[in-house]
Amino acid sequence: MIELSTNISNYEQLISTDLTAYDAIYLGDVTCPLYPNNFCSDTKDLENAITFLKNLNKKCYLRLYAVPENKDMQWMRKLIQRAIELKVDAFEAHNLGVLLILKEFKNIIPIHFGVFGNIYTIETIKVLQDYGVTRVQPSPELSIEESIFIKDETPISTVFAVHGKIPLVASETCFIMEQNGNDESNCGFACSKDHWLTRQQGEWSMKDTGRMTLSGKDLCMVEHIEELLSKGVKNFYIQSHGESNEFIETTGKIYKDVINKSLNNEKISYETNVETLSSLAHEGLCNGYYFGSTGQQYHGRKLND
Amino acid sequence: MTEILAPAGSLEMAIAALDAGADAVYAGPKGWSRRPMESEVTEEEIEQMILYANKLNKKVKIVVNTYPAPFEMPLFIKKVTKFYEMGASGFIATDVGVVKLLRERFPDTQIHISIGAGVSNALDVKFFENIGADVIVLPFRWNIEEFNEIQKISNITLEAFLYNTIKTGKICPGNCIMSSFFQYRDWFAEEEKTNEHGSANRGSKECYRICQVPWEINNDADKSKSILKQDTNLIQEQLVDFVKCGVKVFKISGRERPIEMICKVIKFYKKVIRELEEGIITSLENYKEELEDLRAQWNNQKHKRVAVLMNKAKSYNKMQKEEVR
Repeated sequence: MIELSTNISNYEQLISTDLTAYDAIYLGDVTCPLYPNNFCSDTKDLENAITFLKNLNKKCYLRLYAVPENKDMQWMRKLIQRAIELKVDAFEAHNLGVLLILKEFKNIIPIHFGVFGNIYTIETIKVLQDYGVTRVQPSPELSIEESIFIKDETPISTVFAVHGKIPLVASETCFIMEQNGNDESNCGFACSKDHWLTRQQGEWSMKDTGRMTLSGKDLCMVEHIEELLSKGVKNFYIQSHGESNEFIETTGKIYKDVINKSLNNEKISYETNVETLSSLAHEGLCNGYYFGSTGQQYHGRKLND
Repeated sequence: MTEILAPAGSLEMAIAALDAGADAVYAGPKGWSRRPMESEVTEEEIEQMILYANKLNKKVKIVVNTYPAPFEMPLFIKKVTKFYEMGASGFIATDVGVVKLLRERFPDTQIHISIGAGVSNALDVKFFENIGADVIVLPFRWNIEEFNEIQKISNITLEAFLYNTIKTGKICPGNCIMSSFFQYRDWFAEEEKTNEHGSANRGSKECYRICQVPWEINNDADKSKSILKQDTNLIQEQLVDFVKCGVKVFKISGRERPIEMICKVIKFYKKVIRELEEGIITSLENYKEELEDLRAQWNNQKHKRVAVLMNKAKSYNKMQKEEVR
């Protein structure tokens, strides 16, 4: 069973986006509990979202805050308790302390360990498995060769990010809020607008969402899906934090189509796909670290042909 | 007994630091710690450090705080076994799997959890204690409130950097791969290690500290140019609380810094911490001027270091483009 997933932060975006292409949705925001109306801060919206997605026959996973401080543990316990009652299909954790909370609740819902979990070694995965982790996302720094090695050697499942901006930093503080001179009591949700950081006459760029900094360029592996499928990859993920409905819909449709055509040995129009994906990328496309080079480079399909 | 843990970016630095009063030094084997190759040391140098430290009844800790590549664990085990058999007192590690592995293989070694592990709450610390850690390096931004929270649920030994607490800017130890997204240089095939990709987190060439140089926000160079992370400073009054609170290891960073500077810092804090512990002083008031002078020297060198790293990043970038052409 192949799964294509993405993430949606809040209810408004969930119901206004065509999610036909996706099999599963990661709900909520991992880097900011305040991020506008995200599912981690409103359990009523979470309940509605779960009902909505179950009706669409899609899996719903709840993303838990990646860098909780001691003061966050109380509200996170309440959120986890409620999510267990609501029977989410999985939790996505990024933090070791949160794994202890899930253990304290005797949780039996599957746990995914996310991008900020620093998954680099099989040995780490074996430890996490003892704490209920059933799926991991290898660190974006790993090459395809290394990620496939993890997939093949690990006793649990792996998910591969194939498109979208690469999360580079999760911070405990909000850069945008500080820039605006606000505090947590009135953050102003300035992160709803795009913030681009540039240097080196624009050659270096990043997108900042306050507590998370992402690559300026969009990771794009559409030309390498066939290869990933041939190596046994089953879970594909499109990172869409801070992106428009159009981005989520279009990228989902393209990747779903490429996955299906690859499985059926049908011809794929890579040029058109790359062109469309490129038009959605503010700063262009890259392959991240998958080919063992620095994150900004883009390698076309010919590299591996 | 409180311990001063000093950097050993070279054999010479290790010997000077131990002579200056450090109770222990930490050294990174080439390719396995988060520092440029120039600040890491060979196996032979580590062996020499251990022999020298043993004569003084002092300790050498081995920094293996990178995230190993998933298929290089056999090499990692070979390396750490060698250091353990040489007589290293402990290891400083980050990766969860590495911590568990070290504990299982060397039940009597001391395991420190590196700042790079990115702990953000007391339960994180408890997790590491559960899998075998002895000492936790406390994040820069933590203060005695956080230390107390740990002590409520854990018996782990507390280790603090000799830096002040600062809670602004991007705070992200263990959760940052910004530098390598733009630039990194592959490690040379050396010390049997050939699997180098990615950031300093993985042992590649170095972190270019791109968070500490100005970035334009929304292409508005005039109005908004900002660094992403604030600089820390050598600790002052907070040291009193840290000693009272039971911090048992004080760490000095700076494997790449001049030896003379490291020795000055060791001597200063060794004296001040001893006087605090013995009740000779209750504040650092009498040392204000001396500390300000030390801070100025420390910060001046830090800024020069950032400039050097950025220049390196630019030159490697240029080299890479020329190679592509």
